[in-house]
Amino acid sequence: MTDSIFSRRYSRRSMLRAGLFGAAGLAAVPAVLEACASSSTSNSGGGKIVIGTFQDNAMVPFRDVFVKRFTSETGIQVQYNETNYDAWYQNSKNDGLHKTGAYDIYVMDDNWVPEFAAGKVIQSLDKLGFHVNSDILPNGLNQGYWPPKTGAKMKDFASATPELYAIVIIDDVEILYYNKDYFPNAPKTWDDIASAAAAKAKAGGPYGWSARGVKGNPIVQTYLPLLNSYGGNFVNDDWSPGFASAAGVGALERLFSFIPYMPTGVAEFDTDQEVQVFLQGNCLALTEYTGLSHQVDDATASKVVGKINMAATPSQEKSGPAIGTFICGVASGAPNPQGAKQFLEWFTSSKVQTDFANTNGSAAVTKSALSDPNITSKYRWLPAIADAVNNSVAKPHTPDEPKMEDILGTRLNEALVQALQQKSGYHSIAQSKLTQAANEITAYLKQQGGYI
Amino acid sequence: MRAGLRGVPVYAGLVAAEVFALFPFWWMITTSLKHQVEIFSGLELLPTAPTLDNFFALFETYNFGPFLFNSVTVVVFSVLLSLLLGTPAAYALTKLPTEGWLQKQALIVVLLVRMLPAILLVIPFYIVLANFQLLNTRIGLILLYTGLNTGFVIWLMQSFLAEIPRDIEEAALVDGDTRLTALWRIVLPLAAPGLAATSIFSVINIYNDFLIALTMTSTPEAQTIPVGVSTLIGKIQIQWGPMAAAGVVGALPIVVFALLVQRHFVRGLTLGAVK
Amino acid sequence: MVRGRRASFAAGPYVLLLPAAVALAAVSIYPLAYGVVASVRHYRYGLDVAYAGITNYVQVLQDDTFITALETTAKYVALCVVIETLLGLGLAMLVNRQLRGASLWRIGIILPMTVAPVVVGVMWRLIYASDIGIADPVMGLFGIHDVHVLGSDTTAFLGVVLLDVWEWTPLMFLILLAGLQTLPQEPLEAAVIDGASAIRVFFDHVLPMLRPVLFVAIVLRTIDAIGTFDQIYVLTRGGPGVSTQLFSIYAYNTAFLFTQYGQAMAMVVILLAIVLVLAAIAIRLVRLGPGTR
Repeated sequence: MTDSIFSRRYSRRSMLRAGLFGAAGLAAVPAVLEACASSSTSNSGGGKIVIGTFQDNAMVPFRDVFVKRFTSETGIQVQYNETNYDAWYQNSKNDGLHKTGAYDIYVMDDNWVPEFAAGKVIQSLDKLGFHVNSDILPNGLNQGYWPPKTGAKMKDFASATPELYAIVIIDDVEILYYNKDYFPNAPKTWDDIASAAAAKAKAGGPYGWSARGVKGNPIVQTYLPLLNSYGGNFVNDDWSPGFASAAGVGALERLFSFIPYMPTGVAEFDTDQEVQVFLQGNCLALTEYTGLSHQVDDATASKVVGKINMAATPSQEKSGPAIGTFICGVASGAPNPQGAKQFLEWFTSSKVQTDFANTNGSAAVTKSALSDPNITSKYRWLPAIADAVNNSVAKPHTPDEPKMEDILGTRLNEALVQALQQKSGYHSIAQSKLTQAANEITAYLKQQGGYI
Repeated sequence: MRAGLRGVPVYAGLVAAEVFALFPFWWMITTSLKHQVEIFSGLELLPTAPTLDNFFALFETYNFGPFLFNSVTVVVFSVLLSLLLGTPAAYALTKLPTEGWLQKQALIVVLLVRMLPAILLVIPFYIVLANFQLLNTRIGLILLYTGLNTGFVIWLMQSFLAEIPRDIEEAALVDGDTRLTALWRIVLPLAAPGLAATSIFSVINIYNDFLIALTMTSTPEAQTIPVGVSTLIGKIQIQWGPMAAAGVVGALPIVVFALLVQRHFVRGLTLGAVK
Repeated sequence: MVRGRRASFAAGPYVLLLPAAVALAAVSIYPLAYGVVASVRHYRYGLDVAYAGITNYVQVLQDDTFITALETTAKYVALCVVIETLLGLGLAMLVNRQLRGASLWRIGIILPMTVAPVVVGVMWRLIYASDIGIADPVMGLFGIHDVHVLGSDTTAFLGVVLLDVWEWTPLMFLILLAGLQTLPQEPLEAAVIDGASAIRVFFDHVLPMLRPVLFVAIVLRTIDAIGTFDQIYVLTRGGPGVSTQLFSIYAYNTAFLFTQYGQAMAMVVILLAIVLVLAAIAIRLVRLGPGTR
């Protein structure tokens, strides 16, 4: 009796289970085949290159127009993959360190170059026989050399000859965006900004200034144009931090002096939120990278179409925008390095760069493109970009730069939070936090060795 | 009298708990139905101009179709395989002569494995997968998740299987079954609620994994939904509308699944996990 | 015949255990060994360049940021587990009756724990963001103005604790509910008949009988809470400042952002050692505690 009950259950359930496992087994077969297939196609070489990048508005013309144009002009297939910034940083680094060869070209942020070059994540373009277009603006081009041509050098590389490891494709640099309605003349100095803010900003808006306050890289981008303009350095040529000086403290105090005119949530703003305030017509001016220029005249994103002009970042002693750049390296494990080289030479050629500038006013890297009269009449920010690149200040060229930015950015954020809460005592807050960051960076560099 | 309270405070408390639990879902859903402009223009509990654009964008621009497919495929196979590996092992644990000691060791081992943080695991896994050309493949993920989930299966199934009275099995053995057919024919059907509960928790754990999927995959060929959701949190741009939509799409399969099987959650826990 | 079968099956269980044991070893022993080896190697530019001995450990233990991260994690875990246990127990007590539609109450309450932590991070980001979120207006209703959750240390920390409580109280609820439902009723009924009040019944009878279940739930939740990563990664990245920089975030940054892989592995080993010690203490306490059944 017991048997029959169980055998009834058995037939239904076991058939179901057998069916499931059988289906699993059958379905696994195509998955196995797929795995084998994908590994073989990625090694096919010849007429194909794979480009990986992080998502960004600036890359849209690259993705939608120029990649396809390269294929139609040369016949080389291009596979284009994008993901978010942090994931891409991790993926590309892993891919290069372990030479897994999933990509030919990494599109990078400029401060990845020292790390990727020193760690052999990317290979030397000079050794590949890369031909450098002399039309490229020097400050942008120099971002791709390791060891760096200028600035502080690490001891291990003090005597090595700089080699080109990455080639700049977009001259992303900081410029000043200001709303014409509030500035009869283009503002030139921080005092100009301050007086306009004092005269025209109000508590709920319009704000006098907007900024990125998130700890780490974002707030450092807010701070650098200030620091550079006051004559301070991120690090001096001997690697000692240069921002805890009177210049650095003064620069941070200037940012704090804008607190009455900034949105109260600024300490948690990243680019999107910082920029929204401006695009909604609620802010007089801000410093940002070139990507914003594509949004200001876009009616679906901006309420200030036609009202925004661009200029050099405000000066104190001088104007000192930070230079970013989107920069391309060839992976060490690249399946098709010659194809990658061909693509990069093609994209940085004067003709293609001119067309690139003509597409949405993208921040091309060549002198001819950024000064072409036809194009600059359409896209008024291009001369400002060229100007900014020529006056720009690079960040420290070292693989440890991300950590240094993180340290400085953490303390800057803490200082900002404190300043927002206290609304006074700006000098002592700035001095103590910047000194703290300077000491931590010095200690870190000592620990890493090869600097001091 | 059961250990509990009664009356209006009970219902008030429960309602409060429900509102607290469900409100974030509501907020995310309404945000996903708004245009970017509306999201920034002020606080609204209900979208005044609802739109499905964000969802269309997910599938047209942000590759959520492949993400969904990858997640479902990887989860189904990983759970099946880990059940296949783990259930017989759990059964064996209950049948061993020194079962008390070994079961306790097994429990400790499984807990220890659970303690290993994902950052410890990702680089070694990355290197292994790289060596076998399994990076950025669904198979690679399935292998890793199966391995990781087997311990969990053993732990849960072991307590469910221990509940089943030996007499039924012994009776079957006397009647001519071997151990294996007894397992198949008699024990497993009785342990079905346990299998269900184990499957549920396994599905949830594997579907929700982020760091391992992030490191092992790099393109929509193999990336899963959690990775897909994170791609919307750009460094430069945060598209709030699509991000909210991504959250909705990310949560939906699991929520639907959980609603369908929620009966087994509690039954499963009641029957065995609480040991 | 039975004897013969038993003898021939002596190897059986071990055969069934073998594939699973191999799988488990592959995903645990191999990474652990790799991590321990990496922790005594010196990495430069992401490459393994030299033997480092205990240098990584020394540097990590002298790193204030690391110690802060450990402290933050300890505070976070303690706060979350305590709140979640209390709330979970409370909820379980509320639901532990033959309520009409009991399963309906349960559905809503357990949903948060089923959602991917990444998505939970997104959900709460939509709530906390100062410009588009609903947290600021709600606080405004209570007269709190100009406080942005993600804009200052304490509020951000409390904000992530709230997120964790929202997400994981359901788990405690389910486990404790299951525990309550399997309690034998006779001792409780006897106590009531003897005239004990509800509170007395709870503290003298229910709690002691729940102790093993509570222990399991707390241990589980603590282990998981220590490893919290996805939600913080999406929500704050450890900011503002370092107020929400849990151990996992700092270790992740060290391994992947600063490529100090050896130091990151040293951090992981140190953490595992701490957890093991705590676990041993916890087990000791439970064994020696009064009233173990």
